[in-house]
Amino acid sequence: MKCGDVYLHICDHLDEDINSERCRQIRQHLAGCPHCTEYLKSLKQTITLYRALPPPRIPAGTHRELFKTISTLTTKAAAGTPKRGRKTRKA
Amino acid sequence: MPDDELIGLARTGDARAFTELVRRYEDTVYRFSYKICRDSEAASETLQDTFINVYRKLNSFDGKSKFSTWLYTIVTNNCLMKRRKRKSDLMEESLEAYDHPSGEPGSLPRQKPVHTPETPADVVIGRELKSLLEEAMAKLPEEYRVVFTLRDVEGRSTEETASVLGLSVEATKSRLRRARAFLRDQLQPHLKAHPEILS
Ligand SMILES: [Zn+2]
Repeated sequence: MKCGDVYLHICDHLDEDINSERCRQIRQHLAGCPHCTEYLKSLKQTITLYRALPPPRIPAGTHRELFKTISTLTTKAAAGTPKRGRKTRKA
Repeated sequence: MPDDELIGLARTGDARAFTELVRRYEDTVYRFSYKICRDSEAASETLQDTFINVYRKLNSFDGKSKFSTWLYTIVTNNCLMKRRKRKSDLMEESLEAYDHPSGEPGSLPRQKPVHTPETPADVVIGRELKSLLEEAMAKLPEEYRVVFTLRDVEGRSTEETASVLGLSVEATKSRLRRARAFLRDQLQPHLKAHPEILS
């Protein structure tokens, strides 16, 4: 396997099928090629950095707005189907 | 209560079951929306639109795919529609160059090896790096951003990622490859200048 082939498939190596024949060949190539090893490492670093980004939090206003919308939707639906409506159950 | 039972109840019109479903998934939907739409206003809008869609179409959800896959698909379509009104940042063709990085002179990194941490917890993202990461991501066409985010950041399978976009597994893998190579190249100058980030 040449460097060019490793570049094309190097990402498969980051995926789950590490026991495939192709990945075995990639591992073999990597063992003797510092450039490809370096490249693979920098790809992994890239992924690591994106994973490390703190997840965005839902703004409080957005959360409130969402549940207001949901409540409006479900209340409307309940009003449209008397069997499940609150009034019938209470009465 | 497991998701499928909750979905079953919500389908019969159980408001509490539906509200609980929203509660369970609002963070996932917001996080993904934010990463794909790229701003908090669009993400908030997408969050609303997504659950309104889910409410209206819950009866057409067949349960064959995962509920999360369905949610990701709705978010992606919502963001895509909003995005079409704006200009896409990078043309898809320009990413095809990343199929052959070895053919480009200077693309082979020759700097000293840097230790890769096992978990993101080891890494503290400073302000400068954070904006660099976000800028690089914003340059990717949406489809590529979805693939990278689902597969590499959210840790979803290649199959689930493919199904969200209606792509084949092979096409998904090739987009993933290009997205990773593109982002890597964008970050490389910064990482070279600051090797301590990942030490
Ligand atoms: Zn090589």
